[in-house]
Amino acid sequence: MPASKIVIIGAGVMGRGLAEAIATTGTEVVLLDRTIKIAKLGIDKTRDSLDHAITRWALTEADKKAILSRIPPSADLQVAREAGIVIESIPENIRLKRELLQKLDDLCPEETIFITNTATLSITELAAVTNRAERIIGMHFLNPVPKIPVVEVVRGLKTSDDTYKRAREFADLLGKTPVLVYEYPGYVTTRIIVPLLNEAMHVLMEGVSTAEDIDTAMKLGYGFNLGPLALADAMGLDVVMSWMENLLNELSEHKYNPCPLLRKMVRAGHLGVKTGQGFFLYDKEGNRISGEIPIAETIKIGPPRSDADRKQK
Amino acid sequence: MNILVLNCGSSSIKYQLFDMEKEFALAKGMISRIGMSGAVLSHKPFDRPEVKVSGEILDHIQATNYVISILLSANHGVIKDRSEIHAIGHRVVHGGERFTESVLITEEVLAEIRNLIDLAPLHNPHNIRGIQACNKTLPGIPQVAVFDTAFHHRMPPHAYVYGIPYVMYKKYGIRRYGFHGPSHSYVSHRAAAVLGKPIEELKMITCHLGNGASVCAVDRGASIDTSMGFTPLEGLLMGTRCGDMDPAVILHVMGREELSLHEANTLLNKHSGLIGVSGVSSDMREIIEAANAGHSNAKLALDMYCYRLKKYIGSYTVAMGGLDAIIFTAGVGENSPEVRELTCQGLGFLGIELDKGKNETTIGKEVDISSDNSRVRVLAIPTNEELVIARDTKNIVDKKILH
Repeated sequence: MPASKIVIIGAGVMGRGLAEAIATTGTEVVLLDRTIKIAKLGIDKTRDSLDHAITRWALTEADKKAILSRIPPSADLQVAREAGIVIESIPENIRLKRELLQKLDDLCPEETIFITNTATLSITELAAVTNRAERIIGMHFLNPVPKIPVVEVVRGLKTSDDTYKRAREFADLLGKTPVLVYEYPGYVTTRIIVPLLNEAMHVLMEGVSTAEDIDTAMKLGYGFNLGPLALADAMGLDVVMSWMENLLNELSEHKYNPCPLLRKMVRAGHLGVKTGQGFFLYDKEGNRISGEIPIAETIKIGPPRSDADRKQK
Repeated sequence: MNILVLNCGSSSIKYQLFDMEKEFALAKGMISRIGMSGAVLSHKPFDRPEVKVSGEILDHIQATNYVISILLSANHGVIKDRSEIHAIGHRVVHGGERFTESVLITEEVLAEIRNLIDLAPLHNPHNIRGIQACNKTLPGIPQVAVFDTAFHHRMPPHAYVYGIPYVMYKKYGIRRYGFHGPSHSYVSHRAAAVLGKPIEELKMITCHLGNGASVCAVDRGASIDTSMGFTPLEGLLMGTRCGDMDPAVILHVMGREELSLHEANTLLNKHSGLIGVSGVSSDMREIIEAANAGHSNAKLALDMYCYRLKKYIGSYTVAMGGLDAIIFTAGVGENSPEVRELTCQGLGFLGIELDKGKNETTIGKEVDISSDNSRVRVLAIPTNEELVIARDTKNIVDKKILH
């Protein structure tokens, strides 16, 4: 257990997921965002997530209370001064992240370690705006953080051995297996999963199979917990697209070109679980609800299926 | 000789300081919420009222420092100097097959306790943390580890091996270990004293009925079988644990509800037992209240609880080839006449008969609650695990001084 305070900046899906995972180990963690209202909203969503875990038998009401009591919300960046570890988990935008890291660098004592939670951005580039490049490291957690047992630990060019060691200890605390990756766009997980998701969308768009069947085939055929389309919905289709565009920009490879269907769905505002509709439909709690999505009608793409075919369903 | 007894959990430390000349607790207390804001220390000297202090306590090292400070403090303390703490006894949950009795803690012993983390991932790490903290805060003072499992080490293989491929035992140490050792040991010795017979002549069944609950067949002083197994999940129905069950049930439920290992584990350990069956509470007092008020599932939970215990009493009587005494201890055992009565009901053919009046008035006291005619004596005995730890610690330290 680290004898130092942990502060997370950014109460979005990743930030609060990480806060939940940390608090579940018995460690206290401050969840900070621009306003106290946003930070508290993050806590509310964490409560929802814990309530869901209770229905899955994973926790008790008493556990939930104890976990929530360990996540004080805050909107005051000054609390980072007292932290031993500051985790940045704001949106995947290099300009915003650099601004924040610069601010934190001015604020925090020299020895504070910064962890940046990014899926695609360059740690070296982020670290360059601070005076502590050796004490900045990337940790790419996967959503949902409390459940996914792996974390990519990303060393920037100047990240020190000691910082790397601390990051591994932090992963141990969370019970996550760390995978060391050197800085390269997309690291391991994002780089490999993104073309797979994209390919599934092409298969759907080309009318080879239905969304349901594509997911079933990959789940049963290759042992995925979630099929690729449900996975894309869970990640957020806008997020998937921004990853692809980052990879495309960095590596200029055609294989990272977002599928036209993905582009259209993002334009239509069908972003997956968070908007209630992606390749599948979801209720407010994010649970799949039944109901066919007439993809061909809503986004006018792909060959129309015959009426006879639909009636069979 | 003064001995500090520590029971270290993930975010808590319970402590008692014993004066061993009189076997008397000078002070007892607990620190909770270690590592969180608003840690709380509650401390009760034997001759003054309880005090509560809250503050920031980041880790077990700080926590043990707090314990020592309050034991020394002018207002609430019971000793003048830290040299008056002569030894420390730690409760360590799992001793595996390596530790069959309490031991003086050395670097090698600590390393071996660490090797056992795999068997008790929820407990041993915190016990180790407490030992390391004392190395820092009370350097040079002898520390002793007292294991929950050690009392059961004389169980024969036919009681401890499970009916799965033997290679699992060889490979992973999967076998019955049993828990609550200090408690079963304490009450069986107390019972022998109360009955005025040497323990070597007695066949006893000790029922430790707390939040966790286990039964032990104590045959002439040795545990020959106990209801808890590889983990504290097996055996009796408990507050939140299921106890004995067809293992295929969990595989089936995992498939049906698509549960992960973690989810299945908490289903059995935290959502089952009294709370799971009744939906009312994990606390026996509330179960009995609800059952009396007509709550049918609370009644069912109560009946299941006592029926399971009754089955164990029957099977252990047969296993020992006789029975001289049944001992009820821990929260439910010491304080629930209803549970004791339901459990012993209809066991007259085994020579077990309660004295209704004595049973009903015995709450948290050491009393023989069986009728004059009862061939088997039934006793309620308040447990004192901390004293067992303190005694073992004293014995080991005394021996060390002699050598």
